Amino acid sequence: MIRREKRIAVLFVLPTILILLAISIFPLIYSFYLSLCQWDVGMGGRRIFIGVGNYLRLFSDQRFWGAMKNTGLELLIGVGTQFLVGLGLALLLNRYFRGRNLVVTLFLLPMMISPVVVGCIWRIIYHYQYGPLNFLLARMGLNPVNWLGSSQVSIYSIIIADIWEWTPFMLITLLAGLQAIPDELYEAARVDGAGRWAIFSRVVLPLLRPVIIIAVLIRVMDAFKIFDLVVLLTHGGPGQSSETIAFYNYTTGFKYFSMGYASAMAYFQLAVIVIIANVFLASWKRREVS
Amino acid sequence: MKIRDGMKVAIFLTIFVVLLIMLSPFIWNVMTSFKDKGEYFTYPPVFIPRSFDLEHYVQGGKLGGIKGMRDSLIIASSTTLIAIVLGSLAAYSLARFRIGGDNLAFWILSVRMMPPIASVLPLFLFFRFLRWLDTYQALILTHSLVNLPFAVWMMKGFFEELPQELEEAALVDGCGRLGAFARVALPLVAPGLVATALFCFMFSWNEFLFALILGRSRVTPITVNIAGMIGGHEILWAEISAVSIMASVPIIIMAIVLQRYLVRGLTLGAVKG
Repeated sequence: MIRREKRIAVLFVLPTILILLAISIFPLIYSFYLSLCQWDVGMGGRRIFIGVGNYLRLFSDQRFWGAMKNTGLELLIGVGTQFLVGLGLALLLNRYFRGRNLVVTLFLLPMMISPVVVGCIWRIIYHYQYGPLNFLLARMGLNPVNWLGSSQVSIYSIIIADIWEWTPFMLITLLAGLQAIPDELYEAARVDGAGRWAIFSRVVLPLLRPVIIIAVLIRVMDAFKIFDLVVLLTHGGPGQSSETIAFYNYTTGFKYFSMGYASAMAYFQLAVIVIIANVFLASWKRREVS
Repeated sequence: MKIRDGMKVAIFLTIFVVLLIMLSPFIWNVMTSFKDKGEYFTYPPVFIPRSFDLEHYVQGGKLGGIKGMRDSLIIASSTTLIAIVLGSLAAYSLARFRIGGDNLAFWILSVRMMPPIASVLPLFLFFRFLRWLDTYQALILTHSLVNLPFAVWMMKGFFEELPQELEEAALVDGCGRLGAFARVALPLVAPGLVATALFCFMFSWNEFLFALILGRSRVTPITVNIAGMIGGHEILWAEISAVSIMASVPIIIMAIVLQRYLVRGLTLGAVKG
């Protein structure tokens, strides 16, 4: 009987494991091998094993570091704003009222529609001559901004659209965290004579910490992926001023067909993400132990 | 008491104003989809279009919108089906028999953490080798790669919440393990199943990077179709807006109809990490 149970247990997970193995592990090993080769498919080039050459090339590649910088900006400004606004909204919505589910669902709209659609929407809004955003600025007596055509501004335009799209994610995650805090704790703090700010900083924030860490971690990992908005809004331009790491990686692999170099770049990103994730998870676990 | 009421009004007013600001880009898009050519290329911009005819929707549909919707539907529903069926089997095994301990569960989740750009290149070469580029199965499999781990984790949470005694009773009554799973456990986690399916469908429907690289001319999901329209010489704003609304409507309807499950599903996933 026990053995039969065990067989069923294995049988149940086997399909999932097989699919994941076939389409993740095997190609990943293959592409690690590629990252050690020079292989420019577009030039009809042959595959030559060059060891860590591609990785060394990353360090002297100005364009790569430019893309890293833009990704970093998205990470600091974009994710930072999403967190602050999301937290504020979550605190506002953390009370019961009629139709709350509907209001929350409406707030979630930007993250539910496709990033491609988000790109379309903002492309129209940012239009230099005919867009509503510059019209509003003019109404306020300000100069129009060349949102997508200026190399100083374009990356921030992408970040603004990203903030619009993903603040809802922070909102819903933090709201969920807030709702998991039992009401008695608020009551107890109030009885002890704590004010609003004291309750927030000494009760709510510490209890919310694990959720905050997970939410920020997920968005930080996503910041490395930001691609759709770049394609739709600026295509990395003007010049390479709004290129992100995922976009440069895509260009290297599928425009220049430098498969080896693109693989190395992807592996570098993977390493950075794994390191960041581990730092976050370590601080998450530390909390749970203490 | 007066002050608290004033506070309440202020809070709801703030929520309302922020919601309006959040929704305004989307509303603008809806308006644009109805505008005539002369109306979206004007200064000052026109806010409310003169007429609300569906001409641009018809045009957008002809420009590949209908084909895109069909392809997305095929890919997203197949992916959801795979993720739900295989995912709940695996989740049940992980939750009930603790097979493979934490390590197996964690490995499954870690597959999802891969940045797509890191996995798309090997997948491209892999499918090229199989001559599967530009086919439905390539995109269905690739989307499953992301959705299956997600479904496993979400369903695992729901199964763990279910008291084990319910199935034990069924086993005593002569049901097999498979019967206990299919007739007792599965119906009880139905709300979780709905939430998980909604998320899988949404992800697959909205996905762009894999679709752009692995699809081409025969398979063009709606996202690729929209992006193609915006890159063109003459940008047909109203048609693009119309198609992007068409692409969003199924998701929005699903979300509003299933809002109870959606919020609960997100809540559960978030709190459990």
